[in-house]
Amino acid sequence: MVTEFTQTLLGIMVAVIMLGMGASLTPRDFYLALRRPYGLAIGVISQYGIMPLLGFTLALFLAVPETIAIGILIMACMPGGTTSNIFTYFSKGNLALSVLMTVTSTVTGVILIPLILLLYAAALNLEIPREDIIAVLLVLLVPVAIGMTLRKLSANVGAVLEFGGSILALFFIVFIMVTWIPQNWQFLLNTTAATYAASIGLGLVGITVGYLFAKSLKLHPRNARTVALETGIQNGPLAIAIIVFTFPPDQQQAVMAVPVLYSLFIVIVSTFVTLFFRRANTAAEQKMPDSLL
Amino acid sequence: MTLEERPWTAFYGPDVRAEIETASYRTIGDLIGSVADTYGSAPAFTACLPNGMNGTLTFDQVNEMSDAFAVYLREVAGLTQGDRVALQMPNCLSFPVAAFGILKAGCVLVNVNPLYTADEMAKQFADAEPHALVIVDMFADKIPKATRGHPIPNIIVTRVAEFLPVLPRGIVGLVQKYWDKSIKPIGVAHIRLPDALEAGRAKKASRNVEVDAYYQAVEPGDVACLQYTGGTTGVAKGAMLTHANLIMNMQQTMELISGVKKGEEVALTALPMYHIFAFTVNLLGFYWLGARNILIPNPRPLSNLKRAFENYKITWMSGVNTLFNGLSNEIWFNDSPPKHLKFASAGGMALQAAVAEKWEKVTGKPVLQGYGLTETSPVLTFNPLGKSRDGSIGVPVPSTLVACLAEDGTAVQIGQCGEIAAKGPQIMAGYWNKPEETAKVIKDGWFLTGDIGVMDTDGYFRIVDRKKDMVVVSGFNVYPNEIEDCLATHPGILEVAVIGVQDETTGEAVKAFIVKRDQGLTEADIKAHCKAHLTAYKIPKRIEFRDDLPKSNVGKILRKDLRAEELARVAAE
Repeated sequence: MVTEFTQTLLGIMVAVIMLGMGASLTPRDFYLALRRPYGLAIGVISQYGIMPLLGFTLALFLAVPETIAIGILIMACMPGGTTSNIFTYFSKGNLALSVLMTVTSTVTGVILIPLILLLYAAALNLEIPREDIIAVLLVLLVPVAIGMTLRKLSANVGAVLEFGGSILALFFIVFIMVTWIPQNWQFLLNTTAATYAASIGLGLVGITVGYLFAKSLKLHPRNARTVALETGIQNGPLAIAIIVFTFPPDQQQAVMAVPVLYSLFIVIVSTFVTLFFRRANTAAEQKMPDSLL
Repeated sequence: MTLEERPWTAFYGPDVRAEIETASYRTIGDLIGSVADTYGSAPAFTACLPNGMNGTLTFDQVNEMSDAFAVYLREVAGLTQGDRVALQMPNCLSFPVAAFGILKAGCVLVNVNPLYTADEMAKQFADAEPHALVIVDMFADKIPKATRGHPIPNIIVTRVAEFLPVLPRGIVGLVQKYWDKSIKPIGVAHIRLPDALEAGRAKKASRNVEVDAYYQAVEPGDVACLQYTGGTTGVAKGAMLTHANLIMNMQQTMELISGVKKGEEVALTALPMYHIFAFTVNLLGFYWLGARNILIPNPRPLSNLKRAFENYKITWMSGVNTLFNGLSNEIWFNDSPPKHLKFASAGGMALQAAVAEKWEKVTGKPVLQGYGLTETSPVLTFNPLGKSRDGSIGVPVPSTLVACLAEDGTAVQIGQCGEIAAKGPQIMAGYWNKPEETAKVIKDGWFLTGDIGVMDTDGYFRIVDRKKDMVVVSGFNVYPNEIEDCLATHPGILEVAVIGVQDETTGEAVKAFIVKRDQGLTEADIKAHCKAHLTAYKIPKRIEFRDDLPKSNVGKILRKDLRAEELARVAAE
């Protein structure tokens, strides 16, 4: 479905993009996000509270075979993906908070994912590949740290990296859609409406519920947008890796259907959500006169 | 009042001289060169764009580049001493290079607001008759229309990212051209600023030109700038500010402002330098101080300032009420207020007490209000650090007399309202080509500001209102500001403007234009509120509810437009 080569290429792209994103940050941004940890706590709750419940509900109410249902549940239990950082950046959200939420959900996921699956899928015993978890953290944190350091050394180098990273990120989003669809054309044709509904709904409803949840707790709109994207955007590649590790080859294809479809549609959904959030951000900006004097 | 009687000098700091005998430099050209000799390779100007891309010029570089530009103007473009050169650009590295070059060349600098429409530009060009125009590419498409009646022989074009390192400069250029689409075809013959500098350098080397000779031929009393003013009240007039006016005012202001150290400050310039406040205080004052001056091309939206605050240890900034209010409301600014800031100075418009208070709460540092006009280069008064008073414009700067005068030109008693008049080395030489306008405002050496003010017993001044806005009700003076302030405290009122209108019984009557916040608000509510707080003759006799009020492009409510509407209505009836 996704070739080894594409996977590696995407990994490298994400690392370079995160280098650019990191160059937009300062240590103070992380300090501020940590100083008010309720944002982070809300993120973990929506990530491992709301999303699995949503996945469970979708699996229950949509008429899907068991293998597909397991795919939905696994996808819903995943930690936040790096893509969420990219979309948070473009949404003018709180990037430091987004990075911290991704890190937190990834690290705590090692314990929380099996626990939650125990709750919703009793006997489903998943193998979580530790090296994939470490890889996620490395691809995220190392480039961000390098980006921040380079910006500290030279604001111009930082700004150029950030600019380059954001251009690459736009390319990355288009690249995913353009390469994914032709490669999986047959699969798209054979997929049932219920599977589509689950794959699109998980991201879209996840973002919506995450946003409403954060707003109801009076989070600043900028942080609420961040929590929303972080909640809805899951780590699709990690789900696929877990499935490969856990399931026998004859079941893999079916279990993987939702994670694979999700990985495509979340990019499309997030693009529209980001455009919407950007407009909301501009509308909320303070109105300044044409000229100060 | 004489210089010996100034009560306010008691508030001057221990190192502040009450009298600055002579300017430290003959001309601005001398100042530029001499300061560069002192600070040499230290950074003088840094342009910081919204994404953090930046470029820096050292004192030596600005000095050398402005020399080259002066030579270009005189030897290549063929300008002579006293020729006007218009400068139309937002804050960027080209601004000091061009401005200093023009002044070194002995030419007269004409600052033009870059937001002007082609028609507004045309009016200013027709009056100033510039021989050259230095303009940023974003606004250069207006040149053909603006110069139709008055062609300008030399057009020099620059860009916001000029003198930035090559990669950021290229990226900014591409973004402006293809993303913002803010750069349109220019349509007239022109030369790029870097090419003009090269031509100047080549001429300087081949002919052995001495730039010093240009400005040594300039006298301190010669005009340095034509600074246009009065756009909102009628015909724009060019205030002739001399080299001595500007140098003295810069020194007077710096003398009074204590707490800053030469060669150690990092100053933020978010206000446009084409305006006299930022021109004198930021461009000249910060340079003279040896400060690193962080130039912000466009502070809108305010998030454009975020990177500048993150990347530089700002110790001093100047601003206006709108800027201080806006920043105090930004979440990122509240999260990370500038911790190296010593204080901020406010000018340009009245600083509201609530804004000053909020700013101090957020940053922990005071904002000091000053007062002045374009015609006074501009600073007349400032609040000394540590002795700032709410709602006060402070005390007069050294070597300056300020008094409140009655209609007959005599000083009013202390504590009484009168027109603020000033005498000092910063008062302009007059309005360009408008002697009759000059005679109206400079009388017996006193410059009449048109502002009504009060002096407290110890010498602090407060502004009450603009003289022309004053309403006379049955012989009593009513100041619209006071009525507006009173009405603004009513929770049901969103915005308010007060003017005087003709009245058969009282001569003039007070009329209030009100934008409701609470739709249930009635005229009776307002009158009851006024009755509780104001004397009878001050209570608005007429009240009109509006959906909005006319405002200038800086957001000031335009009473003159409301007056014009009233006059038109009376004429129609």
